[in-house]
Amino acid sequence: MLRPFRFEGYSMLWPKVFFAFLLYTSAASAEERPEAVAPNPPLEAELQPKPETTTKAAENSATENSATENSTPENSTAENINTENSATDHAATANAATNNAATDHAETNNAAENINTENPAQERAEKEAGLLPEAKEVLPGQLLKEEEEVAPHPGEREEGQAAQGAEEAERKSLEKEPTLSTVVRGKSIPKSRGAGDFQVEVGPLAWVPRNSAAQLLTLAPGILLTNEGGALHAESIFLRGFDAREGQDIELWVGGFPINQAGNIHGNGYADLHFIIPELVDSIRVLEGPFDSRQGNFAVAGSAEYRLGLGQKGMTFKGSLGSHGLRRLLATWRPTSGDGQSFVGAQVYQTQGFGQNRDARSGSAMAQALFPVAEASSLRLFSFAYFGNYHSAGILREDEVQAGKKGFFDSYDVGQGGDSAQLGFLASLTGREGAFRHEQRMFFGFRNMRLRENFTGFVFDLQLPQQPLHGQRGDMLDKTSKSFMAGASGYGRMRTQLWELPLEWELGYFARVDRVSGQQTRLLAGTDIPYHVDKDLDSVLGDIGLYVDAELKPWHLLSLRASIRWELLAYSVTDNCFVKEVRRPSSTNPPLDESCLNQRDFGLYRERFQNLSTAGSIFIPKASALLGPFLDFSLMASYGRGFRSIDPEYIGQDLKTPFATLSSWEVGALYNRKGETATLEARAMLFGTHVDKDLVFSEQAGRNIVGGGTTRLGTVLSGRLQGRFFDLSANTTWVQSTFDETGLLVPYVPRFVGRLDGAVFGALPWELLGNTLLARFGLGINWVGRRPLPYGQRSNSIFVVDANTEWQWRNFSLGFAITNLFNRRYRLAEFNYVSNFQATQLSPPPLLPARHFIAGAPLAFWASLSINFGGDH
Amino acid sequence: MRSFVSGWLWACLLWVLGGACVSNTEGALVEFDVAAIGDEASKTFDSPLGYRVHLEKAHIFIGALYLNQSAPGNYTLETSCILPGIYSAEVRGGLRVDALSEKRQAFPLKGRGTTEPSRAGEIWLSSGDIHAPHDSTLVLEVKGEASKEGRTWPFEAQLSIGENRAEPPSNPALPGSNPICKQRIISPIPVELELKNQGLLLLKVVPSAWFSHVDFSKFPEENAPPYLFKDKAAAQPDNALYAGMRAHSGPYFFSFEERSTETHTTEIFEEEK
Repeated sequence: MLRPFRFEGYSMLWPKVFFAFLLYTSAASAEERPEAVAPNPPLEAELQPKPETTTKAAENSATENSATENSTPENSTAENINTENSATDHAATANAATNNAATDHAETNNAAENINTENPAQERAEKEAGLLPEAKEVLPGQLLKEEEEVAPHPGEREEGQAAQGAEEAERKSLEKEPTLSTVVRGKSIPKSRGAGDFQVEVGPLAWVPRNSAAQLLTLAPGILLTNEGGALHAESIFLRGFDAREGQDIELWVGGFPINQAGNIHGNGYADLHFIIPELVDSIRVLEGPFDSRQGNFAVAGSAEYRLGLGQKGMTFKGSLGSHGLRRLLATWRPTSGDGQSFVGAQVYQTQGFGQNRDARSGSAMAQALFPVAEASSLRLFSFAYFGNYHSAGILREDEVQAGKKGFFDSYDVGQGGDSAQLGFLASLTGREGAFRHEQRMFFGFRNMRLRENFTGFVFDLQLPQQPLHGQRGDMLDKTSKSFMAGASGYGRMRTQLWELPLEWELGYFARVDRVSGQQTRLLAGTDIPYHVDKDLDSVLGDIGLYVDAELKPWHLLSLRASIRWELLAYSVTDNCFVKEVRRPSSTNPPLDESCLNQRDFGLYRERFQNLSTAGSIFIPKASALLGPFLDFSLMASYGRGFRSIDPEYIGQDLKTPFATLSSWEVGALYNRKGETATLEARAMLFGTHVDKDLVFSEQAGRNIVGGGTTRLGTVLSGRLQGRFFDLSANTTWVQSTFDETGLLVPYVPRFVGRLDGAVFGALPWELLGNTLLARFGLGINWVGRRPLPYGQRSNSIFVVDANTEWQWRNFSLGFAITNLFNRRYRLAEFNYVSNFQATQLSPPPLLPARHFIAGAPLAFWASLSINFGGDH
Repeated sequence: MRSFVSGWLWACLLWVLGGACVSNTEGALVEFDVAAIGDEASKTFDSPLGYRVHLEKAHIFIGALYLNQSAPGNYTLETSCILPGIYSAEVRGGLRVDALSEKRQAFPLKGRGTTEPSRAGEIWLSSGDIHAPHDSTLVLEVKGEASKEGRTWPFEAQLSIGENRAEPPSNPALPGSNPICKQRIISPIPVELELKNQGLLLLKVVPSAWFSHVDFSKFPEENAPPYLFKDKAAAQPDNALYAGMRAHSGPYFFSFEERSTETHTTEIFEEEK
């Protein structure tokens, strides 16, 4: 029989942790354990809409035997609670619900933890001091949440609506059987930082077909994803008028692990999300704008964090077959107890892709486990591994497609593609002592990326005087980046009072170091032979940030939050190819075709490399005010500054400001109403942002490079309506991005983006062989307005509809999904620049900007069959 | 409360609509017609060296035209004939121009360009691979007679740019310093133009300028009349004619005529008939 795995202190050894994980997972699979409420399993959501409070039946009489039979790590704390509150009656239930609804303080979970038989005096004292909410009980797994905050969504009812919440909770509880204990279902939601703070539960919207976990980002307003690099190339993210490319302007986290790759040769901040198994995503927090003190490097347009969890209990196998040779096999497992934060998942994926040269194959594994390590602490371990290999069709010239020289889904260069490998590990320790709580994270990761892409054909192979005569040898860029990253982050949060007003302080830190080797070469057309080295950098990049964050509630409807963060960025770069040209080379040792020279003017010797180092710091203030809710409305205003480190290739010795800065503001209103059968949340906001050094796409570099200052103004409207059998989410964003110097539009950035996601689900009124048949339908509609292109051009608009249906009977599920339902030929991305794809120059080359595009996927479909063992059916 | 929200939404709507008026990125792409004209005054002219020259034939082959946003004098070390990013117009169709006719001779393809100001022009004397070592295309054909102080020099020239014009590098450590493409591009021709859609780019060729520095008296004695210019670097007249053909100031002038959008290509050339 498994015993709760406890550590006496925090000074555990990693081997112990791994051993504990093995013990835990093996035991969990060996026996059924009392059930807790899953965070958001689609099936459960369907049959049992998620309540704020749920009664937990007298499994729970479990109190009697839990101490001996069911002492799993996750319910052990509940045991302590129940021993005192086993006589909980309806009033107590309501009371607990009241507090849950009323508070936006973070300590709910941990407060409950103190409600035990061990120290009732301390508990009373803390209550009297106002440091703890009233007694409540918690779901055992709650203690193990990554974030311990039980904050409502912005504007969610707070203290002013406590009574209403209590009534509702009581009514719900009365509808149920009498219980011995009440479980408050906590949500792991950090405090809102403004109207643009979207904490999105995937929930039933998981049934809207999406090709990757990155597509889940589109649940937040204003996000457009494009991909010019191939099926497994990182998605380019457009957000709030920023062409954030593959992560350069958006900070991305997965389960607390930082995804942006500092110093990546393809783009500083490159973030590849393809390792994420979509079924393991529980929710997403997209914070549009730089309004949270925890945001750091790359949070220019905003940040996004994937929170992981697995709804389906037990072991699940899922196989998919589809058009264009799609094959996918997925296996997941989670214990039947717990809230889904402990899981293992692995998938293998393969496709031939549509059109030419779009084949891809990948494998991914993710695992996470939670352990209580002390009475008020928990340890979360998360790791992942991923490998991917793919080819890419690249861009096409519109004029050649129109002339019939190329097909819409063809490719100029079948050598394009890439490889990716990622390995990451994170350990997170959360704990609480009285009114103080904290989290400490350690992480490390290894990333390897290779990318081959050709945007221009035969244009940029310039003839240098030192080189023997040559024609255009080809513009295929071969980029490799290898990096090792290690770091730590954490915070401590203290609740206290200021002039008898509730005040919370948070002191946090972030430290990270990246060792990156990046190289960019040019390949001889049609071969894998490099003929020129463009860049060869070895970099050590350091990033340390400290912040202090305070929240004051001068009035029960008003929260004021302010923070200051001090960030230090350090660069140590070895440019292994520092000298590429020499005006008067040595006549006895001419460099000829050599890329990286070891001579300077007049042939004087020098080493090929150059060391460059610099460091800079920046203060980043942020502030927000939340007023409400009143009449279900809340008003919010936020201001914040952010920054982005610059590419190592731009580092000069003692460069003064090795970063770009931005300032942003936002005002918005939120409407949040929870009815009997449905919940509605709607938002409207205005925002503005100014960046001093923006990134603009360069076809020569095949990525974004540093440009001038830009300003953005925009507005967002969004809403989500959830009911017992449906879930609808809609949003639209308009933004105007202009250059400061000219007042003209920033090219490529979409001005209008709209998205509709909908799901309908329920049990059919008939049975099949005595078992209920469940049906689910999902629909996604994406619309992107015409984007400005260079030279006054406009792109085509995008309108794509995806649909999915899934049927479940017992432990079998059968799904059928279609993307691009109307088989529209659309251009996922369009560019205006110079290219020439004539390998043999039979005529003068085109040297004027021309329209290019990346073809969007045609109609595609796949069928999935999944079988579950050990779950609820 | 309701009025506040309503007002806020209206303000938002007005702002969006107002902002939508700014809807352009920098510059614009334009299409225009292209023609070349010759110079009838060059049929008989006096050269700066005192020769009276009478031309019976003066044809030049133009493979392509390009306009640049910046003068190539701003180039760095790079000696590439093609510097992506500096071009503001291109005409990628070849035309053999009768340089003694002032009738507009239309290029077979329309020109494409941007509204960026053009500062320099390029004439490409090849319609094929600009880097190809070999090219037998006759880029210049002239026939005429020069006279001075009672002596006459009937002459003919047929020039091409291939191996015959390759120049060895001045420094063996800089083997790429004199690519053949440089011989085939006449640049920078000074211009000050802003292109508009549906206009006409006009290239005027003045063949008399080709002969500005040709000293006919230095034809080798063994070169019996009619005197044939050699198609390679040789005597002064041979070199001077080749250099005159490639001179970036004197023989070639760009101009741009704006046209209303209703004016069609045929009308542009009808005017001349």
